[in-house]
Amino acid sequence: MIAFLAKRLGITIVLLFTLSAIIFFLESIAPGDPVKAYLGANASRVDVLAERHRLGLDEPTIVQFGRFLAGLAHGDLGVSFRTHRAVTADFAVYLPATIELVVFAFVFAILLAGGFAFSAALRLPGSSVYRGILLVGSTAPPFLLAIFGIVLFYQQLDWLPASGRGPDDAGPTGFLVIDTLAHADLPGLASTFQHLLLPGLVLAIAPAIGIGRILRSSLESTLSADYVRTARSKGLSGGRVLVSHVLRNSIGPAISMSGLQLGFMFAGVVVVEQVFSWPGIGNYLANSIPVSDFPAIAAVTLVLGAIYIATNAVVDLLQAAADPRLVT
Amino acid sequence: MTLITSPVPRWRAVSTGFVAGRRLTVVLVSLPMLMTLLALFGRILAPHDPVQPVGGLNLPPGSDGFPLGTDAIGRDLLSRTLYGVQASWFSALLVVGVGLLIGGLIGVIAGVTGGWVDAVLMRVTDLFLALPGVLVSIAIVAALGAGLGNTLIGVSIVWWPYYARILRGEAKSIAARPHVEAARLAGISRPRLILRHVLPGVVPTAVVTASLDVGNVVLLLAGLSFLGLGQSAPAPELGSDTARALSQLLSEWWVPVVPGLAVLIVSLVANLGGDGIRTLVTNRR
Repeated sequence: MIAFLAKRLGITIVLLFTLSAIIFFLESIAPGDPVKAYLGANASRVDVLAERHRLGLDEPTIVQFGRFLAGLAHGDLGVSFRTHRAVTADFAVYLPATIELVVFAFVFAILLAGGFAFSAALRLPGSSVYRGILLVGSTAPPFLLAIFGIVLFYQQLDWLPASGRGPDDAGPTGFLVIDTLAHADLPGLASTFQHLLLPGLVLAIAPAIGIGRILRSSLESTLSADYVRTARSKGLSGGRVLVSHVLRNSIGPAISMSGLQLGFMFAGVVVVEQVFSWPGIGNYLANSIPVSDFPAIAAVTLVLGAIYIATNAVVDLLQAAADPRLVT
Repeated sequence: MTLITSPVPRWRAVSTGFVAGRRLTVVLVSLPMLMTLLALFGRILAPHDPVQPVGGLNLPPGSDGFPLGTDAIGRDLLSRTLYGVQASWFSALLVVGVGLLIGGLIGVIAGVTGGWVDAVLMRVTDLFLALPGVLVSIAIVAALGAGLGNTLIGVSIVWWPYYARILRGEAKSIAARPHVEAARLAGISRPRLILRHVLPGVVPTAVVTASLDVGNVVLLLAGLSFLGLGQSAPAPELGSDTARALSQLLSEWWVPVVPGLAVLIVSLVANLGGDGIRTLVTNRR
């Protein structure tokens, strides 16, 4: 187990290093000169050279890369061209919003996936309609789903809000669900959930299909196993067989798929946040793209990418803990 | 022994099932071909110039001469959508094709050669596979600058490892078969071994994998375009047309919905066609 842990940690470090190297390389070829952005376009040549020297941009690439990595280790992600603030300062505001949305959507996706898989494996009546809707939903671009959600649930039915996170955040964590609870602000909590519902649903549909399909096929193959027939024939109820015999033995592949999908969601959240004006890191990225604010774009990519890599590592470890046969 | 067989000829039951299944498969497989034709002749079919204002502002669908309506500056939505579908469909095919070419080359070479070549190539592939592809492609396109060519480069760079992984496994299993052993013993050159004896066996898997993947690429490219990482302003592109018209959603819903629906149709056609091609290829085996 220790060896496995060490190996997985090593892989994670290599991945993070590669990601940083790619971002560093892209930053060096990206248009937009950080010095000009900082001093303004009319700065004199002497000033520009002095500033380049001060920022270390006249040093060899390898030295710059070393400094870049050291900066990352200290949480320095550069300065945004657009907001003229350290990107890290911007993130402190936006990152909790994104994490809250993705976690909420992930729970949503698991529920939808469970419905998808169980309704199919148990052949519940009418379930094919539900699966059909979900399947078409998963082939639709997320922004179209978001648009439909807004027209239906906001404009026509007026059930759900269409933008933002709801109540103002009174601190301290930046996660509204936690903060409203901490202040015993129940209307605020309700409003938070209302605002989470629509973007969460839109973000959940594609992962739900991914997880649901895997869970369905492993459920179906487990249901036809001999020991399930034995359990049934000794008189256990259907529900009991399902929970304590079938589910436990078919959940493994679905767990690893869930981890993969959770990682994907941190990439997919960008478009969803933009449509719903969700004040998260994805929206920050979407606003940085039109003005070519590359330091901001690079930083978002790095942070979301690191979350993706870390998620996959944690899922691997969880799986190894659940099934020691995987540790080889 | 023939007396024991059932009086109703078995083949009939089997063959009707086959024909019904086959008919559906033919319909599914023809969908992407129709989409290709539509994309090819989209420019001829488009009734108006997609970039120039040609009618009233924000005309609803079904208006005289503008079946899908017009946008906020009076451009014909049908023409813009047809041009957008063309870009979307051919871009997706191109990305998948490039992925297949690079990934296939790496995968087949690794699978056939084995040894340290295999180990090195697959380590690199796994490294790329474990990175968040969508995010890296966003960063690449943002660094290169928006534009259709750069978008295609950015996505292609992250798209090949998947193919390398799958086709390496396939090539490895084929390379272990007797006919390849025999060819090897006959002393033919490695390029010839790969081209004549391994590659033909890899093609079915490659075709199925690629055709099931086109829909994913359609959605990814539409997403990038939606974020402003596609063609620049006046060019008709489905994702960016939706994004730019978002503010009109609650007043003139069709302006953002029409291009968005077009993405759904293209992606649906790609997925249904992919399923059809998979059925076709697996049944032939």
